[in-house]
Amino acid sequence: MPQPVQYRGMTLIVPDNDSEWTEFYAHARAHRLVVRKCTACGLMRYPPTHACPWCMELEWTWQELSARGTIYSYEIVHHAIQPGFRELTPYPVVLVELDEQRGQPTPDEALRIIGNLVKPDLTPEAEANVAIGRRVRVIFQDLADHMALPQFTLADEAAPGRVWRLPE
Amino acid sequence: MKTLRDEYCIVGVGETEYSRASGRTTRAMAVEAIRRAILDAGLTARDVDGMLDYQGGDSTLANHVAPDLGIRLNFYMDVMGGGSSTEALIGLAMGAIEAGMCNTVAIYRSMNGYSEFRIGGTGARAAQPVRGLDLAQVPFGMRSAGQNFALTFMRHMYEYGTTSAQVARVKVAHSRHASQNPKALLKERVTVEDVVGSRSIVKPLLDSCLETDNATCLIVTSAERARDLTRRPVYIMGVAGRVSKPRLDFHWAHGPITRVAGYYAKDIVFGQAGIGPEDVDVTGSYDAFTFTTLLQLEEYGFCKKGEGGQYVSSGIIELGGGRPNNTSGGHLCEGYTHGMSMVIENVRQLRGTVDDYCPRAAEGVHTYDYSPGRCRQVKDAEITMNLGWAVPPTGSALILRR
Repeated sequence: MPQPVQYRGMTLIVPDNDSEWTEFYAHARAHRLVVRKCTACGLMRYPPTHACPWCMELEWTWQELSARGTIYSYEIVHHAIQPGFRELTPYPVVLVELDEQRGQPTPDEALRIIGNLVKPDLTPEAEANVAIGRRVRVIFQDLADHMALPQFTLADEAAPGRVWRLPE
Repeated sequence: MKTLRDEYCIVGVGETEYSRASGRTTRAMAVEAIRRAILDAGLTARDVDGMLDYQGGDSTLANHVAPDLGIRLNFYMDVMGGGSSTEALIGLAMGAIEAGMCNTVAIYRSMNGYSEFRIGGTGARAAQPVRGLDLAQVPFGMRSAGQNFALTFMRHMYEYGTTSAQVARVKVAHSRHASQNPKALLKERVTVEDVVGSRSIVKPLLDSCLETDNATCLIVTSAERARDLTRRPVYIMGVAGRVSKPRLDFHWAHGPITRVAGYYAKDIVFGQAGIGPEDVDVTGSYDAFTFTTLLQLEEYGFCKKGEGGQYVSSGIIELGGGRPNNTSGGHLCEGYTHGMSMVIENVRQLRGTVDDYCPRAAEGVHTYDYSPGRCRQVKDAEITMNLGWAVPPTGSALILRR
């Protein structure tokens, strides 16, 4: 069994029998963002789940994504709960809507994923640069030989729609 | 859907003091709250034969609480969970009695939510290993309730133009109510400027509830049994428990993320009760944060979706307004009880015996003077509603009448 990963004072545990996450993190460590794709209805889902939430099918394959998306919502943590995050405050948490499968199978559904918005050096992005509507891409933060976290960084692309941030 | 409207009642309520240093066990507090509720109902230990409680590994189970009071149980169950369990367990108590398993159920929640297991997630809870579904959020510094909920409200501000000053009015209203409540931890009235200018924990959340040590209890029995009691019962018109959005594993996948569970619960609870939001005199919309109150009032139809900011800013949610919310001061100001105190408050409102500063409050004599340090009884309250919150995708609801 792989050793638990120590990250910012947290113990992250992904045992060999973690049938949801083990392969996801192996792909992430190879710097590939993957999600599960149902072999019956073809819809993709995140986080990794055992059955398809739309058709109950148990068969699936890993599907690699473009790892690009748009900030759908965000928050700025000013008071950290986990001690290991105190030195990072204020840090942004972003909910990103990935480019694949937007508005499917219903208009309000999408592949959305949570991460930190970071600079290319993996330190927190400045609060003034965080906004709903901005384009982002995945950047992988290596934690161990078998594990990396998918994070997000601002992409050098024009925002396709409205860009909004919390008024000061 | 089936309804048991008016066939079950809440006949007793009780609580300990609200503090930040109880200095005693959750067992001791639970026993005290249950004893008070039994006495409040005019019952004895022999009359209670069912027990339900909820907790998150931070409390004492029913099998150690009931014997302290000499209660022999025909039914009991300890449930994992926090907010929105209150209303769900009231419904389960009705079901247990309806099934013939028992006659009268005491429901309790006991926690040293500040001095021992901090509800906010700091201390020992912050150090728990991260595995399974938690890996999708916690490694990114998203562990506490505030961190878990903030994305929902930020998107609401984006979609509907809701402002910080608007949602601050929830705290302003609840602080005014708390100033009329001898039990409240925070009795000082605050202004919108106080709230907007306060230190940020997570943006955009603008105020959080108060971690508190306390125990609370409600007693549920059949209307038939309640008729023998001296105190006028409060009738249960409708109940919905832990109603959820799709994709409860990761509700962000199924939007709109500004939609919360009340969207799905409202038809169940109003359908049972046979009434609509316009018939409700007092609301108890769970205020883990100011915005949780606002979003739930929208979903249950007290205003249109997206107009919660205007609704809470209109004065309607304040004592003296058309439909006051959380007249005890709620979790923001009275103290955090995982929802129980909001039901207790509504029971007392319907009885006309809210424990404010009116000298003859216990006899139901009130001044209806809502200036600081006076009255918080709503005149002639007939119907109340609780909008219970667990997380954005899970909630419960309860409609009561006198």
